Amino acid sequence: MSKVYFSTWRGEQINNIGKADDAWEKSAYNLPLEYNEHAHSKAFIGWDGVALFNPDVDVVRLATEYAAQYQVYSEACGRCAPGRWGGRILYDLLDKIARGEGAVSDMDHLKEVSKTMQETSKCEIGKTVPNPLLDLMTHFESEFMACITEQKPSKHYHMEDTNYIAKITAPCMDACPAHVDIPAYIEGVRDLRFDDSLMATRQTMPLAHTCGRVCPHPCETECRRTNLDEPISIMELKRLGADYETDHGFGFFHPSEKKPSIGKKVAVIGAGPAGLTGAYYLALDGVDVDVYEELPVLGGEVAVGVPEYRMPIDKYNQDIEAVRDLGVNFITNSKVNADMMRQFENDYDAVLVATGTRISKKVYCDNERPEIQGYWGAIDFLDKVNLQVKYDIMVPEADQKRHMLPTNFVDLTGKTLVCVGGGFTSMDVVRCAIRANAKKVVMLYRRDEATIIKNTTYEEYHEAVEEGVEFIFHSAVAKMNDENDVLKSLIVDRYELVPDPNGGRPQLEKIEGASFEMECDYLIPAVSQSADLKLIPEEWEIERTSWATIKTNGKDYMTSRKGIFAAGDCEYGPMTIVNAVGQAKRAASVMARYVQSGEITLLDDEIMEDHLRKLKVYDKKEKIQGWLPGLPRQHSEVLTPDERKDNNREVKYGFTQEEALAEAERCMRCYYIAMVAH
Amino acid sequence: MINFTINGQPVIANKGETILQAARKAGFYIPTMCYLEKTTPCASCRLCVVETDKTDGLILSCQTPPTEGLGVTINSERLEQERTNIMRLYDVNHPLECGVCDKSGACDLQNKTLEFGVSAQHFSAKDQHRAIEHWGMINYDPALCILCEKCVHVCNEIIGDDAITLQFGGYKSAVIPKNSEVLDCTFCGECIAVCPVGALVSSDFQYTANAWELSQIPATCVHCSAGCSLTYEVKHTSTTNANDRIYRVTNNFEHMTLCGAGRFGFDFDQQSEKNEAEFTKAVEAIRNASAIRFSALITNEEAMILQQFKKMLGIKLYNEEARAYQSFMAAYASVSGKMGFGGSLDAIKQSDGIIVVGGRITTDNPVVRYAMTSAARHNGAKVVYMHPLEDTLLQNVVTQFVKYEVGTEEGVIAMLASTLLQDADINDEMRKFFADLDEGYLCAESNVGDEEFIRIAKSMGRAKRKTLIIGSDVLNHKRAANIARLCAMIETYTEFSVVVVAPSVNTIGVSLICDLDADNGGDGVVGYNAAGEYTMGSIGDVMLKLPSLNSQEGTFVSINHQVLPTNVAVAFYGYTLNDLANALGLKSANTIDYTAQLPVAKGFNGSSFDDLGNFYGPLGEDDRGYILENIDVEIGGSLEEIEDLPEFNGTVVYRCNPVNQFNAYTARTSQLEKEATLSGSAQFAAAAKITDGDKIQIVFAGEMQERIFKLDASLKGTIALVPAYDVAYGAMNEKYRFEKVKIMRMGNES
Repeated sequence: MSKVYFSTWRGEQINNIGKADDAWEKSAYNLPLEYNEHAHSKAFIGWDGVALFNPDVDVVRLATEYAAQYQVYSEACGRCAPGRWGGRILYDLLDKIARGEGAVSDMDHLKEVSKTMQETSKCEIGKTVPNPLLDLMTHFESEFMACITEQKPSKHYHMEDTNYIAKITAPCMDACPAHVDIPAYIEGVRDLRFDDSLMATRQTMPLAHTCGRVCPHPCETECRRTNLDEPISIMELKRLGADYETDHGFGFFHPSEKKPSIGKKVAVIGAGPAGLTGAYYLALDGVDVDVYEELPVLGGEVAVGVPEYRMPIDKYNQDIEAVRDLGVNFITNSKVNADMMRQFENDYDAVLVATGTRISKKVYCDNERPEIQGYWGAIDFLDKVNLQVKYDIMVPEADQKRHMLPTNFVDLTGKTLVCVGGGFTSMDVVRCAIRANAKKVVMLYRRDEATIIKNTTYEEYHEAVEEGVEFIFHSAVAKMNDENDVLKSLIVDRYELVPDPNGGRPQLEKIEGASFEMECDYLIPAVSQSADLKLIPEEWEIERTSWATIKTNGKDYMTSRKGIFAAGDCEYGPMTIVNAVGQAKRAASVMARYVQSGEITLLDDEIMEDHLRKLKVYDKKEKIQGWLPGLPRQHSEVLTPDERKDNNREVKYGFTQEEALAEAERCMRCYYIAMVAH
Repeated sequence: MINFTINGQPVIANKGETILQAARKAGFYIPTMCYLEKTTPCASCRLCVVETDKTDGLILSCQTPPTEGLGVTINSERLEQERTNIMRLYDVNHPLECGVCDKSGACDLQNKTLEFGVSAQHFSAKDQHRAIEHWGMINYDPALCILCEKCVHVCNEIIGDDAITLQFGGYKSAVIPKNSEVLDCTFCGECIAVCPVGALVSSDFQYTANAWELSQIPATCVHCSAGCSLTYEVKHTSTTNANDRIYRVTNNFEHMTLCGAGRFGFDFDQQSEKNEAEFTKAVEAIRNASAIRFSALITNEEAMILQQFKKMLGIKLYNEEARAYQSFMAAYASVSGKMGFGGSLDAIKQSDGIIVVGGRITTDNPVVRYAMTSAARHNGAKVVYMHPLEDTLLQNVVTQFVKYEVGTEEGVIAMLASTLLQDADINDEMRKFFADLDEGYLCAESNVGDEEFIRIAKSMGRAKRKTLIIGSDVLNHKRAANIARLCAMIETYTEFSVVVVAPSVNTIGVSLICDLDADNGGDGVVGYNAAGEYTMGSIGDVMLKLPSLNSQEGTFVSINHQVLPTNVAVAFYGYTLNDLANALGLKSANTIDYTAQLPVAKGFNGSSFDDLGNFYGPLGEDDRGYILENIDVEIGGSLEEIEDLPEFNGTVVYRCNPVNQFNAYTARTSQLEKEATLSGSAQFAAAAKITDGDKIQIVFAGEMQERIFKLDASLKGTIALVPAYDVAYGAMNEKYRFEKVKIMRMGNES
């Protein structure tokens, strides 16, 4: 709810003109009333209407400035006749009226050109820019007409008392934690300009190969095409640009030229997605970056956690090489401790902690003693599998013994493995176990099939089933049975969903007498992970969240200690790659300014980004016009279970060019422009 | 197949076709300003919007495939209104300079402005000053540009230069060179061709003629074996000279693509009076000749006349280029059982897997390159390029470059065949041949690792439509026949179709029509566009001038095995080969009387010249000449053991013309750049102990040449490129293209 003077946002009709301040009707939307801690907003204008927050707003100037912003945002215009010329005419005519030189016929021309733009523009930005302008011209006609009939400028035309801050967005861009310019990279595919496509991706997301494969794509949930038929296969289209660069052996297509060194140094702790992203954008801004990585290999959890069949390491290495190409210095086999952190604070201008969450949480059952052989944390299990599969780094003898392995790699021949989980990590565990030739692989999950699909993806779950993983839903481990500290079996409880008689959420309740014993050799807890923050010096007293991660304000990613920043899972808790990328990208932007000025600042673009996310750009109730429904979403070919289950070949082939182009054609280029006056 | 309706009429669309394509096929007119059939839709003009019964708003017909049962309306008051408004927007501040604009009379903007009755400027916007850009052979006027993006799309999707891009900036948007201050491209000029207005124009043509003054002569390009359709546009030379001259070349850009040599290299015609005394000498020279030596820059009909001379006068016919091709294809056919190879430019374009071996495609045959670019962009084709020299122009097309040592083609192609034939249904003898290959030796000597072939097998494994392109390096290879048999095996026993890139416009025609003899030199040779005791033709300093190929009518056989007619652009007033033939006792009123007599046994169909079409239909139907029948021949060839692979150490030179240069014709045109240096890498320079700008002397193909050396940063290794187009009768396409040479430094010009 927002207190407004006037609003047509999302079709609401709130008009408090002439009403006493305390009698104002409120808007139902989260409008950006406060631009930032220093400034109140005067008005918000965007693709779906306009809201005025006080009576003194010069609406004619506001309309003119909005049209002007549409001109300025060149990346989103200039590509269709109605948008290009129409946009210019809108601005010229509005400015003519605003400066007191307009004619009545200009109002008619504005309406006429608006209609053509709404009907025929290439993308939503051209189609929607006229919307709030027409709203203003309709509801405040007298103010426009006053400028025309009296031939005098609008009330604030010659005053520089207002800032007009605009931002281009799109439902998918808004939903993406990294705010990737998705319509641009899809347009690159549609236009067969794959270099442009990749550069569009890399503006905010350096890991194009990776996020073209293993991103849970929240953007697709907020794809506007869903309102028409099915969402665009956004994630996979990212691969086209990345493959073009790799297949043809080009140098790296960076989104902009690397700035010359500004003589500032930053340490990044951790070479996972957050660390790589932070390093990439800092380096692009001319900051010298050292990345410290505990493991012998780069890439963090995506390298040692995500299996080869989902994320081939040679592709991920391409993404990593793109970071190295900017001069980033990587230091592997270097676990940072508190002493080093104290030193870093002196040696570097800022530090970014991006150490992820690498401690597997317990399943909380009876007799859950880590020393029992066969009890093996998911993160460590995946480390051992992936280091061997991807890098030929064999399991050390001590670990081999500890985990009862007959060889120096993870061979589960004849063994039964039970995993407790339900998220991506647990899926990786069970599918790796299949590939390690386990006799039987079981996944225990507390909730149902629909939830596991929601938490992972439809494909991931079905592929695991096809490969022979046995899923037992509504189940949990009650007890581990061992003989001389060797795991022998599990007692598994069964649960059922009992509807709440008061109409609340159904509750999981244990079914008495349904528990059973299950023989097994390994129990892999993959319920969640926590952060290892021993590297943070205690005397720094860095604030933590209630989940024992590092606390920031989620906007600038500085911790409670000046100059120490945190991004990715160690800040947020175990989350997605793209979330880590988005946080680290923002942190890098803040840090690049901080190392020069010592100030923590956000760009207008970033402030607007946060406002729009709060407002939410996607409107699932919107009815789509101008696009033909019923064009099916493309699905790329997948290896058959027999082709894939005993090896690490990539499961998905990726789109053929034909599929990719057909898919790209479906994108509706839902760019919007929003503007705040403050 | 999707059934839907347009204005209530049932229409059928194929899978993948858009509403616009289906409408055009069914004869419906939907206006467009930015649509180009051969590229992906630019979708910038928005004129092609239509209404449907399943949508509220207007939808774009150029990028939307129809759905089953859809009802589409393509004309209505609402559509007319919006389309008219779009035209009104296009006309805002468009300079009123139609009186001098090159495009006037053939301008899409003019046409549509009239069609929608926009007679005045309805909307207004502040005008802006925009400077004209001069990019060598191309001028760009951003004020005239309507930003349809056609030029950008062809440059990237068809040509592969990817040299221009849009500078986005709303009203200030413009076309700019990509990643460069000035236009750096192969100057194919296709951007000029597709430009619907006068924004991109030929700087040579600009302000010299109005579109309606020019006469269009449909013809076939003579510069390489692609046989491109082009139109010579002619009018009188000047107010004081009534003779026609060619002002420009245009092409049917909707359906075919022309390179810069075809487009800008048109003024190679020459003139002559009838000198009876010289004519008589020529007749006598032929009558007494031991042989006629000729080039492949010749029509089928002329080749036919020469063949008649052979029969009638018992003289020999020398054409080493065509003879090499002839023996290559004879060996090929002995395995494939077909006279010709099975692939075509279209097959390349449709491919999703392409292997190129043994040729410098970008300059040898640009249209093959365009077909490869198109396949790479539109089909995501995997492209393997195997050659001793990497080609930077192909980087955005090639997905695997395989470098082999000069001279090892036989071994490389044997290994390639072995790779591709792994699962093929071949007989035991063939299987044994491949099993017996000494792979270790072949890989070591050719310097191509085993892993390269594994990668080829992998990338071709998923491809469904595959083409093998054989460059002209192998035609003159010592082991050409065995190479041909290996290539034929690939075509016969795998899904690959094969294209052999013949060097000249009519190498294939000559090879089919003439019984050629080995050229052992000797006395009494008459040269027709070739060296001889008596010389005639249109190339070099000849004794009897005969018409150039743009002054002749006749036919050629292209790389598609298509018999293509060409016509006279500029009248020639001297004698023709047919006049000589008649003087020697043959009887034909016109050269083209021989068209109907072309040998049926070789696949010609007996059509007479005047029955041959020379145009594309509105939907791109190729109605030019006819395709040769691919005659069955006896199979009997068997593979020979691979010979020891030769070694080419030290400084090696590769015969390779610069972009847009092919032969003595292109060499004498006025617009094409005439780079004639020996170009090599820094490594080559070091090995040869020369530096940039040095004057050097080499003996190449048995002839002494003096050239300037130029350092070329795009080259690597110890192989330099030497052009041949500028040597009138040089050993153009007669010898193996690589040669080890001794470089003698003669001084430095700079």
